[in-house]
Amino acid sequence: MNQSELAVVGGHSIEMEASPYGIEKKKLGMWVFIVSDACTFGAFLFAYGYMRIGAPVWGTPFEFSSIMNGVLMTTILLSSSLTMLAAVRSAQAGDKAAVGKWLGVTMLLGAAFAALHLREWFKLIGEGWRLFYNPTGGAAQFGATFFSVTGLHLTHVVSGVIALAFIGRGYSQGRYDESHVETAGLYWHFVDLVWMFVFPLMYLMNAR
Amino acid sequence: MSSNRELAMSSYVGIAVGLMVIVGIEVILTYQHLPPRTLLFCLLCLACLEAFAAVMYLMHVKYEKPILFWTIFPATLLVLGFLCYLLPDAFRMASMRLLR
Repeated sequence: MNQSELAVVGGHSIEMEASPYGIEKKKLGMWVFIVSDACTFGAFLFAYGYMRIGAPVWGTPFEFSSIMNGVLMTTILLSSSLTMLAAVRSAQAGDKAAVGKWLGVTMLLGAAFAALHLREWFKLIGEGWRLFYNPTGGAAQFGATFFSVTGLHLTHVVSGVIALAFIGRGYSQGRYDESHVETAGLYWHFVDLVWMFVFPLMYLMNAR
Repeated sequence: MSSNRELAMSSYVGIAVGLMVIVGIEVILTYQHLPPRTLLFCLLCLACLEAFAAVMYLMHVKYEKPILFWTIFPATLLVLGFLCYLLPDAFRMASMRLLR
């Protein structure tokens, strides 16, 4: 049987049916997490849309410089997806040094994205924007939706950087294999994918 | 594991450049002073196109068994689509304010 695997349980070898998805359990688990996380982000973005439609006046706080900052952040995140792909390729080839190098570059790009994101936050806070206060006199919910959606995304980026550090260390020590790097890559690409919705909806739709 | 039919690294760079071009189009559209609903529709369509490319190529779904795609994506899109059932209430709130 091609679709089966042999496993040893209690000293007896038994035949187990292989996964119909043809992927490892950890990767399937990551897909289930990604689906649930996509629904979480979907709900946050929906709440933003609901409040925006219902509000009579909405703020447009982003000047051209902020939009360009967002474009730079997008470029950095997309580049980090490429370096993550390079890390996965290197792991599949068994090149430990290259995996460490590419994961390091990915983490640096993730940290740069987070730094630019925080700079944008501090700029808005400096202009008087708060979770429930709009200094331009428009809907107070802008701050609540912007800081919660981008904050949730930023949390994912920072968590991803930390996870990549653990995976890289474990891989170099031989505790993890290429499937761990591949699963971490899946998460990192998802974070990139979410930004493809956050940037147009939160930044471009609120450009001056 | 993904199959061995995956693209070369240069093709992935091409995909990333393509995604950046879409982001550039989004920014250009933003400054065309389109009506908000038209702009939202255009931005969402472009974002969905980007997401599709990212899922299929960067996340390697194109190279996995089709059952993975058909198990995960229709259900996810259905759940996200169902959220829109509540949107008419937001329009009701907006129109109530206009009536005041």
